[in-house]
Amino acid sequence: MTKGLAVTHQSDEENRRAIRARVTGSPRPPRQTYQRPRESAPKQQKDVIVGRRCDVEEVLRHPEIYSSAGRASVGSARPMCPVELDPPTHSAWRAALDPLFAPNQIGEFASSIARLAAGLIDGFAGEPEIDFATEFSVPFPAQVLMMLLGLPLEDLPWLLDLKDGVTRPNRALGKPQDDPEVISYQTMMTTEVYNYFGTALDTRQGDPTDDLLSRLLEVEVDGQRLSREALLDVCFGLLVEGINPMSAALDCVFARLATYPEFRDAVAANPRQALEELLRWEAPVTFVTRTAVTNTVLGGCPISAGQQVFVLLSAANVDPVENCDADVLRWNREVNRHLAFGAGVHRCLGSHLARLELSIALREWHARIPHYSIDRSTDLAFITGVRTVDRFPMHLGRQS
Amino acid sequence: MRVMVDEGKCQGHGRCYDLAPDVFEPDERGHVDVAVHGDLPAVLQPDARIGVRNCPEAALRLIAETGERRAPHSMSVG
Repeated sequence: MTKGLAVTHQSDEENRRAIRARVTGSPRPPRQTYQRPRESAPKQQKDVIVGRRCDVEEVLRHPEIYSSAGRASVGSARPMCPVELDPPTHSAWRAALDPLFAPNQIGEFASSIARLAAGLIDGFAGEPEIDFATEFSVPFPAQVLMMLLGLPLEDLPWLLDLKDGVTRPNRALGKPQDDPEVISYQTMMTTEVYNYFGTALDTRQGDPTDDLLSRLLEVEVDGQRLSREALLDVCFGLLVEGINPMSAALDCVFARLATYPEFRDAVAANPRQALEELLRWEAPVTFVTRTAVTNTVLGGCPISAGQQVFVLLSAANVDPVENCDADVLRWNREVNRHLAFGAGVHRCLGSHLARLELSIALREWHARIPHYSIDRSTDLAFITGVRTVDRFPMHLGRQS
Repeated sequence: MRVMVDEGKCQGHGRCYDLAPDVFEPDERGHVDVAVHGDLPAVLQPDARIGVRNCPEAALRLIAETGERRAPHSMSVG
């Protein structure tokens, strides 16, 4: 797609070979991929790769220099709200939307979220083998989003088609991203997303309930109710940002736990601390991007207006300047300031929901399925960026 | 000892009130409110330190009250 991504892929390849030589069959540790960026000043290429903690913070805390506008390539007709907005517009939006995703608000859904997790897990707990992605890491966060928004769960297959159609049309069709058919499919699905949420909003316009879509109708930004277009832009953002990153987090965490059963003891002993360490280590969303809007200098590297900046959250999370034993999973870290949910004004809007979903998933899963594993020969192909896997075969129960 | 919040830096990560709920609490948008106003009782100071040191945005600080001896360990949150 861009030179910057190609660079990341290249180092993936190199490191993959090195790691295979040592740990055959284990999931690829992200830290190996980012050995160089986390220790290097930003690199001046067509795009700029930023990996040191100090530089990552600098970029994310200066949205007036590093803009989020137009960063996502999901085919939406207008900017997704609020992720593609910059301050001061963004600030007003977040002030309005943050309360809907604040911990106290989200906490009220804990028992409903647990029921969804339990329902899915009970459905396959007796099977000898499942595909973790299709049976859990994709449907669980999608169902949670649908429950919050007040969408009927029988729409799940269509919602997933919509999500994949706009975020990963190439994978949905099994063709290259620049294939004309992929581009027209993405455009078509974008329209379908607006149609789907438009209908859902229409239903609530005259007959509001207590779901999130009804509450969005009441939200005011700068004293004004949201326009129809703005509402749809928020819905688009929720669909794109609300499922894939959560699936990635589940894939990363459960791949690690399935491969190293002893790690489950740490999760059982102190679930929250263990989860934070897994988030630091895995960085399910590997990077975010920004565009420089002025000429500037970052860590000694000149950056020109218009250049794209790849901000490697994963590299910052294993920067030895920030963490002692950065390369080691340490379950008793007293300080863990990881940036798995980003930093600065664009801190993940759904981070409180994500943490709740993850902790519930871990609890409900281990209560029902204490033993599970992945074949040593299975090579989970994590997608670069938002680290989901398409296929995730997992054995359930004790292996003889 | 008191907790100081730089409200311009807090982005609502929520690490402080997760780790030290007796010292910090979320406001209606999930940003930090300090639950204990004024001087922190000694019993809460270890928790307060943990909350402060875990802020990803370095938005929190502990400051010694006038006349209070500075704590032996650095309060820097990097």
